[in-house]
Amino acid sequence: MNYSMVKSLILKDWYFHRRAILLSLAGGVVSLGIVALGGKAGFFIGLVFLISIIITIAATLVMNTLVGERENQTLAFVMSLPISYLEYTTAKILGNLLIFVPFWLTLVAGSLALIVAAPVIHGLFAFTAIMAVEILVSTCLMIAVALVTESKGWTISAMIAGNLAINVVGYIVAHIPGIANGMWGKAIQWSPAASISLATEFALIALLLGGALFIQSRKREFI
Amino acid sequence: MHSDIVISQSDGRPMYLQIMEQVKQRVAVGEWAAGDQIPSIRQLAIALRVSVITIKRAYLELEREGVILTQQGRGSIIAPNPGLSPQLYHEELSERLEEVARLGDLLGLSSEEIGRRTKEAANRLIEARPTKEIV
Amino acid sequence: MNDLSVHFDGVGKRYPHFSLENIHLELPTGSIMGFIGANGAGKSTTIRILMGLVHQDEGSVRVLGHSMPAEQAAAKLDIGFVSEDMRLYGQATLAWHMDFLRPIYPRWDQSYAEELARRFDLKLQQKIKGLSHGQRVKAALLLALARSPRLLVLDEPTTGLDPVARVEVLDELMAVLADEDRTILFSSHNTLDVEQISDQITFIDRGRIIDSDDKEAFLDRWRRLRLVLPPDGVVPRLPGVVEVGGSSRLPVLTTNRYEPVMVSVCNDLGATVQAVDSMTLEEIFVANVHSRRERLTA
Repeated sequence: MNYSMVKSLILKDWYFHRRAILLSLAGGVVSLGIVALGGKAGFFIGLVFLISIIITIAATLVMNTLVGERENQTLAFVMSLPISYLEYTTAKILGNLLIFVPFWLTLVAGSLALIVAAPVIHGLFAFTAIMAVEILVSTCLMIAVALVTESKGWTISAMIAGNLAINVVGYIVAHIPGIANGMWGKAIQWSPAASISLATEFALIALLLGGALFIQSRKREFI
Repeated sequence: MHSDIVISQSDGRPMYLQIMEQVKQRVAVGEWAAGDQIPSIRQLAIALRVSVITIKRAYLELEREGVILTQQGRGSIIAPNPGLSPQLYHEELSERLEEVARLGDLLGLSSEEIGRRTKEAANRLIEARPTKEIV
Repeated sequence: MNDLSVHFDGVGKRYPHFSLENIHLELPTGSIMGFIGANGAGKSTTIRILMGLVHQDEGSVRVLGHSMPAEQAAAKLDIGFVSEDMRLYGQATLAWHMDFLRPIYPRWDQSYAEELARRFDLKLQQKIKGLSHGQRVKAALLLALARSPRLLVLDEPTTGLDPVARVEVLDELMAVLADEDRTILFSSHNTLDVEQISDQITFIDRGRIIDSDDKEAFLDRWRRLRLVLPPDGVVPRLPGVVEVGGSSRLPVLTTNRYEPVMVSVCNDLGATVQAVDSMTLEEIFVANVHSRRERLTA
């Protein structure tokens, strides 16, 4: 694996998205501020903003860096470089994660810190952590589908499915006994159910990205 | 050496023939003297935007006719005695004359008429000739 | 050193509605090959296989000594590739593209890149999306040339260019060949470009290579003979005749195995040779394709 080539490709994708990421990060911090201002209205408005910003960035990133290379016909330019297709795939998966995860992690850490710092909502800690990782799962689903299909239509379908999943998962997690109990309580409660949920989510991420890598390695046509 | 060879895409003849003819003309009018270095195959190809193989062919034919000499690794020069022998020109002349005869025949001209026209052309050339003598 | 920069041996690739079959291709180092075919004949597929972007179903492909597609990363380090459907990043400048490529290619020639930008009249700080079609093609070509590639692969480089830009591009291609170790393969449906600068010519039609030879041999082999037959005369049987046109008394024969002796042979058989026309590459290509398609349907 030629890591300097992989690095070049990742830096290229970062270069084209650095402004959007930094702007969104600022928007996320403002949303957290709205949550921190307190009040039920502030809490929900801030939360909706925050989730929207994260999901939008994830979708933009995947669309531009994966589907966009083909749609804009820059794929031929990229594939003329001294790289193998496996290196291209690796650069795309790693790149999306390396650009998205720090952004996501910053906002998630901010949210969790806010929960810990706030006097009344400590109980939401586990639920928030699980839901934050669920957003990551949805993002990885989009990455996998975009990589494998290289199609705008399928990627949009994956995006819609991922967003629906966030709601469904949120509903289910909120009704898992180990998590639901004390969710609105004042103390942080971490149950085995919460651990299992997180582990399941990370396993899904590994499965999605590993599967995409596997399918990509068997492709015979790249342009 | 700068080459002022100009080739034409609408000239019906193959490009290598056009190049050969122009090299010969330059020798004939004395622009390129015996022993002069002429452009290398690649140089001329690039200058004329014509494939290497075409120039190669023109040079091979020119060498065969004794107009140029190609030395391995040292490029080509005009031959000490650029065999633009009368015989060569005579051969070409006969070829052209046959062509003239055929065209004349196609137009239904008599042999006297063809002869008259040929003579006229020769006279025109002499009138238009610059002071410099053609070898 | 390997004398062939590109070597295809029995290469095939099947799609549901198109197949490339039994492709043999040899491109000697230091030469320039024109690859001619109609749209959809298989030029681009062949070139993609050459670049390792499409994997062949059968046959071997070697490019600059590397086996494709397995060793494509190593091979592509020495290849400059521009295709008609290749776009640069619209939101970035030409200068950004140069900075992006420079650390990737050890033989990147920055001063040559800047010199080319001047000659092509391209502004380094202009964004690609503001460029005209011709400027974009020249920008892509600049980025390929500045890599100092040993092999330049160009898929339809002159398509859609105005005459001035076309001459500029052809000039640069010829300049590349000043270095005898460098090789060019370019596809085109403009036979005039190919005829002028190519050493080797390959015709492809419906997924098969129908003829491949050096250009001078092509132009020498193909002739059109205009005959005049006596009443009730028969058309002489000559070698390599692919097409008989004209009228019954004034037939026109197209042969791909012309020898000067044919003229006297015809005369001996009672047919007067009125003219022996040399053919342009375009005429040769069309005659070649027609005769092959007729043989297939016959």
